[in-house]
Amino acid sequence: MSLVASSSRHISGQRPLLQRLAMASEPYLYVAPALILIVAVMLVPLVLGLSYAFRDVRLLNPFSGGFVGLDHFRVLASDVAFARALKNTLLWAGASVSLQFTFGLILALLLDRPFRGRAIAQALVFLPWAVPSFLSGLNWAWMFNPVVGPLPHWAFALGLTSAPTNLLSDPTMAMWGPIIANVWWGIPFFAITLLAALQAIPRDLYEAASIDGANAVQRFLSITLPFLAPTIAITVLLRTVWIANFADLIIVMTNGGPADRTQIVASYIFTQAFRRLDFGYASAIAVVLLVLLMTYSLLIVLLRQSLLRRA
Amino acid sequence: MASIDIVGIRKAYGALQILHGIDLTIRDGEFIVLVGPSGCGKSTLLRMIAGLEDISAGEIRIDGRRVNDLPPRDRDIAMVFQSYALYPHMTVAENMSYSLRLRKTGREKIAAAIDGAASILGLNTLMERRPKALSGGQRQRVAMGRAIVRAPKAFLFDEPLSNLDARLREQMRGEIKKLHHSLSATSVYVTHDQIEAMTLADRIVALNGGVVQQVGTPLDLYDRPANLFVAGFIGSPAMNMIEGRYRSDRVSAWVELAEGLILPLHKTLQRAGIDEEEAADVEDGAAVTIGIRPEHIFLDPGVGGFEATVELIEPTGLGTILHLRLGGVSFKAFSLERSDAAIGDRLSVSLPPERLHAFDAADGVRLI
Ligand SMILES: Nc1ncnc2c1ncn2[C@@H]1O[C@H](COP(=O)(O)OP(=O)(O)OP(=O)(O)O)[C@@H](O)[C@H]1O
Ligand SMILES: [Mg+2]
Repeated sequence: MSLVASSSRHISGQRPLLQRLAMASEPYLYVAPALILIVAVMLVPLVLGLSYAFRDVRLLNPFSGGFVGLDHFRVLASDVAFARALKNTLLWAGASVSLQFTFGLILALLLDRPFRGRAIAQALVFLPWAVPSFLSGLNWAWMFNPVVGPLPHWAFALGLTSAPTNLLSDPTMAMWGPIIANVWWGIPFFAITLLAALQAIPRDLYEAASIDGANAVQRFLSITLPFLAPTIAITVLLRTVWIANFADLIIVMTNGGPADRTQIVASYIFTQAFRRLDFGYASAIAVVLLVLLMTYSLLIVLLRQSLLRRA
Repeated sequence: MASIDIVGIRKAYGALQILHGIDLTIRDGEFIVLVGPSGCGKSTLLRMIAGLEDISAGEIRIDGRRVNDLPPRDRDIAMVFQSYALYPHMTVAENMSYSLRLRKTGREKIAAAIDGAASILGLNTLMERRPKALSGGQRQRVAMGRAIVRAPKAFLFDEPLSNLDARLREQMRGEIKKLHHSLSATSVYVTHDQIEAMTLADRIVALNGGVVQQVGTPLDLYDRPANLFVAGFIGSPAMNMIEGRYRSDRVSAWVELAEGLILPLHKTLQRAGIDEEEAADVEDGAAVTIGIRPEHIFLDPGVGGFEATVELIEPTGLGTILHLRLGGVSFKAFSLERSDAAIGDRLSVSLPPERLHAFDAADGVRLI
């Protein structure tokens, strides 16, 4: 009743200002609780973190805290350790994701065909995913350790190395230690998501294609891949961003060493913040990483959109 | 074009027997329709011809060549699926040209082939669309197009029209028939729609429980069903079945129905070319099932008819289906006449002896 009355008054334009204001802000008031929550939980920490990048925040210096503008970024531009960390991040994320993806896809294709004990195999494949990252880091660090682990001795026996040495202390090869651990740990993610996508492909398409004359490889290329492409795009995106930020294994296995050879940007941030206690500089690095990853994500999302539009 | 020989084909899933030894010779250019109730193994047999199912026992030969161990892609046959199975990420043109592209056919040849198929099927304006932007009928045409561009040895159809509405189905049925006339390709067509079976087939194969019941021209199956299953399956409304007892003496044969009704069999025997002496080896007193199609029951014959009571009237527009009761026996009669009968009326009907079918009541095999 009152609604009708007020709207008729609205039309005649005789409503008091205050009431008009209340009417106009009404929808915003409804969403306000959700908005406030989002702002408080997500934006405030983000903005606070971003602001550190432009301030001099050193925990051991009580006089720090002042605004320094782009100073951190200027230092960063000529920071050799940061440049190396950036290169290492590319290797770390690129090698980990592509190997995880390749093995995950192979595993998914194997698990997609029926065989005895498939349910058990699927459960086993999932297992590494359930191991805490720190535990798997420690585990692999020991495996690479010639004193307690078998891997150096196997590599030596196969003639891959001239002596049973620790991969993790070899400056040129050390990065591959955490990468191998990461691949082992991350295969299940790809295997499971790709398997789910594979099982959603209608079987009769394969039958139609084989009647049309396609062999197994041609069926894979012309049916499986197009169907998987959107899933591949989104999982690769998620995993790349996640792995680029994922320093647990590196911290546990090499702690960035030897001589910063396994330092990635994420672990470099950690080092700057908690070893040197320079929060301002660490935040500046984090901002750069954020911008890079956002650019990358945008590209992948655009790619996925175009894939989906084609499908 | 090719002939297909099916010899003693069996299919079992584990201990479950689906097909129990199918023998069938399909001649070059012939249109064979497989009919039967749901679950009788029609699709299974078709998929075995295509190479999509393993053959448990027996042999399939295409053009005399054993194909049991040949994968589908080497059998050179085309198949139209009930679900159409169009490639969703390819355009209509790409769907239709896929098989040719796999065979590394030349560009111009492909263009000519898909243009030809598209104009036969009226798809010319849709070539750049993807399947999801097509109606059911259009998808069906694309599926047909994909099959015909290749000029394969044989076409296999698995209920290709069952996802279409009645009108479209009728139209596509006509087009399939025309297509077969112009291509005269060997075709095996699975359906459980008997109108499709009757109208399309050169020969119908009636299948039940994994066993072939009868093979013959549509009119063979209609006029002389080999057993009770075929008699009941072909024809709509279905054939009336009446239990009775076969009686004969030296002079004539007749059937005693319930409550003392008597059907003379004389002319039936003549039509079957059996003389009554021979018919006498059906044992006197044997239990038989008499079949008569609703459209063969003669209404208002005047003299010599039975008095039947009208129980229900179903006008179909084309004619009228009357549900009648005669003594203890219910049956249907179909007449092209508009009926002015009312429920409860008594009508005079006759069952012309030359239209009667008689089957062994125990095993269902046709006797007369
Ligand atoms: N993979 C399978 N495992 C076990 N049984 C199966 C399998 N595939 C089919 N069957 C059985 O085989 C029988 C025949 O199936 P089929 O698909 O050939 O029937 P159909 O005659 O085509 O029926 P419809 O008209 O419903 O399509 C059915 O009883 C079905 O349950
Ligand atoms: Mg079927």
